[in-house]
Amino acid sequence: MDIVSLENVSYQYEGTKKPVLKGVNARFSCSRIYTIVGKSEAGKSTLLSLIAGLDVCTEGDVFYKGTSLKKIDRDDYRAKNIGVIFQGFNLLTNATGIENIVLSMWISGNREKNKKEYAYALLEKVGIDRETANRKVLKMSGGEQQRVCIARALSNNPGIMLADEPTANLDSDNETAVLNILASLARDEGKCVIIATHSQKVASIADEIWGINDGRLLFVKHS
Amino acid sequence: MYIFVNAIKNIGRNKGRNILMGVIILITITVSIISLCINNTTNSIIDDYKSRFGSEVTIAPDMTKVTRVMNINDVLSARKTTFKAITPQQYLDFARSEYLKEAVITASAGVAGDGIKAVDEDNNQGVIGRAIDSITGSLSGDDYAMPTMTLIGNQWDEFNKGYRKLAEGGKMPENDNECIISKELADLNNLKVGDKIKLKSSVIRISDNNEQEIKNNTVELTITGIFFDATEEYSTQVKISSLNRRNEILTTIDTMFNNFGSLIGVNAKYYLKNPSMLEDFEAELRAKGLDEYYLVSTDEAGYQKVVGPVEGLKKGSLTFMIVVLIFGSIILMVLSSIAVRERKYEIGVLRAMGMKKKKVALGLWLEMLIITALCLAIGFGIGSVVAQPVSDTLLAGQIENAKMAANQGILQGGPMVGSGVLLGRPIEKEPVPLEQVDVSVGMDTIIEMAVIALALASLASLTAITKITKYEPIKILMERN
Repeated sequence: MDIVSLENVSYQYEGTKKPVLKGVNARFSCSRIYTIVGKSEAGKSTLLSLIAGLDVCTEGDVFYKGTSLKKIDRDDYRAKNIGVIFQGFNLLTNATGIENIVLSMWISGNREKNKKEYAYALLEKVGIDRETANRKVLKMSGGEQQRVCIARALSNNPGIMLADEPTANLDSDNETAVLNILASLARDEGKCVIIATHSQKVASIADEIWGINDGRLLFVKHS
Repeated sequence: MYIFVNAIKNIGRNKGRNILMGVIILITITVSIISLCINNTTNSIIDDYKSRFGSEVTIAPDMTKVTRVMNINDVLSARKTTFKAITPQQYLDFARSEYLKEAVITASAGVAGDGIKAVDEDNNQGVIGRAIDSITGSLSGDDYAMPTMTLIGNQWDEFNKGYRKLAEGGKMPENDNECIISKELADLNNLKVGDKIKLKSSVIRISDNNEQEIKNNTVELTITGIFFDATEEYSTQVKISSLNRRNEILTTIDTMFNNFGSLIGVNAKYYLKNPSMLEDFEAELRAKGLDEYYLVSTDEAGYQKVVGPVEGLKKGSLTFMIVVLIFGSIILMVLSSIAVRERKYEIGVLRAMGMKKKKVALGLWLEMLIITALCLAIGFGIGSVVAQPVSDTLLAGQIENAKMAANQGILQGGPMVGSGVLLGRPIEKEPVPLEQVDVSVGMDTIIEMAVIALALASLASLTAITKITKYEPIKILMERN
């Protein structure tokens, strides 16, 4: 079943003459990994933002389980159904790794009783030990921050995992580790994983590869 | 709950900025606390004095009017034609007014004992003789009963204050022709409860053809009680028996009015329910026959002299507080606006995680509230210590100003303050300005300050909250990334 779908979605930034996305139609299902490839500023991040409910399309509609995002509370939608791994991590830099995860759990309404222990477990799953988890984000390496970002995206147990260039700031070892985590999320936990990337290595783990060219989303291939 | 916990953590995470905000809030709050302490204390003082000065009515001859119509060479005849003296009955009538919360009427008459001796009566030898001669002149001295004691109606103040106490077995006079006497007077004359005493009173009247005549009056009173007296025997250096307080015989006001009629001195104190009722009360008195040559007033000048500096202190502190609050609020709003700009990214992240705008706003407001609450606690500590010396310094300045103004007033022939002697009224003490205000942090100050602090925190957060409603998370994150 499609968990998220886009129907004739267009988007144009304020003050620009050309739309960045034009008439995009796509369907995304659970337990699958999708990669969206394209040149820089092709509109990959914009597409993820629209799916994440961080922005609203200027034309068309985005549906979550058949319901238009225009009809649901987008804050709740983001908090409960979407996990985003941002390219720039977007963590609270003056808080510790563990605080970032616990706060995200509170916001999403996660009912776990011992949120801190649950967060430690999540961080451990992505390779962050307790000592690192208690460091301020600013004092973590890029790889560590990326892992914390993944753990945070998982903290609300979302159906959809969006990753924007998740390995852009990582070395080869870390890149492999993060890709393994993402692949596991789809294969083992049944999540819909959508990754925006221009990395061939990342694209290689996808079930479906889509490309954006001149604002249009085109199906490229099944892997 | 998590918003509150996060707010507390955020305060620690942004120490520098919050310390700066805290210092501004602390200064504003401390100044406000000091001002409020002074304001509330002075308010209660002013209210107290206002009710005392403003509600006690003085009925005294209007000297301006009197001197205008009096023939200076024939004062006596002028008084006869221009004045209608207030009769004891009128004093009682005046007391029956809906504008009064209280009326205290006392009456007194100098009396001589018939068959009883006054305490220190022996001191009167010589003095009395000369006095009788000077008073009676050509009249027969034997007819005149020179007062050796004082009969007073309705004066129980000393009992209320504890200076006098009724001995066991006695009771206060309730009916006509009952009285109580001092233990000294009782012992001197072997008097006890139930005994009767005879008292004589003489008054010299001037007849229509300007001749003097002596009018005597005798009353028989039953002693219902004997009291212990701890008051000063004499309030003057002259030690004649009629001035000795042990010779005061206390009775009811009705006994005085029924037995002595117009031969007594009446002292009436009227207290208005509200100082603003003065005009209406005066109109009522005029309607009841009060002569136009009497002035009905409250002691406005005395009030101004006593309370003027305190009012100045109150106004000064209040103005200062308002100025500090305005400037403090503006600085806080600016700082808060800068702070939220710095925290734009943090807000973007929270919003991207799905935190609703109102919860982000609540978090920011709670942060400001917690900082303000801490400052409030410290401010109360500082304020309670500093308020008194600040008040003393400010009050000293106000008193100095008031003195300078008063001196200028005298030099320029301004009005004299104080009542002085007004046709037989006792000399009243010159009102002394309040030189010490005991400032303390009361519950009213705490409540008012809590409200002000809440408003201050809300106002400062309002700027930030208004700004965050304009931010879309994706734009903030894109700007940063």
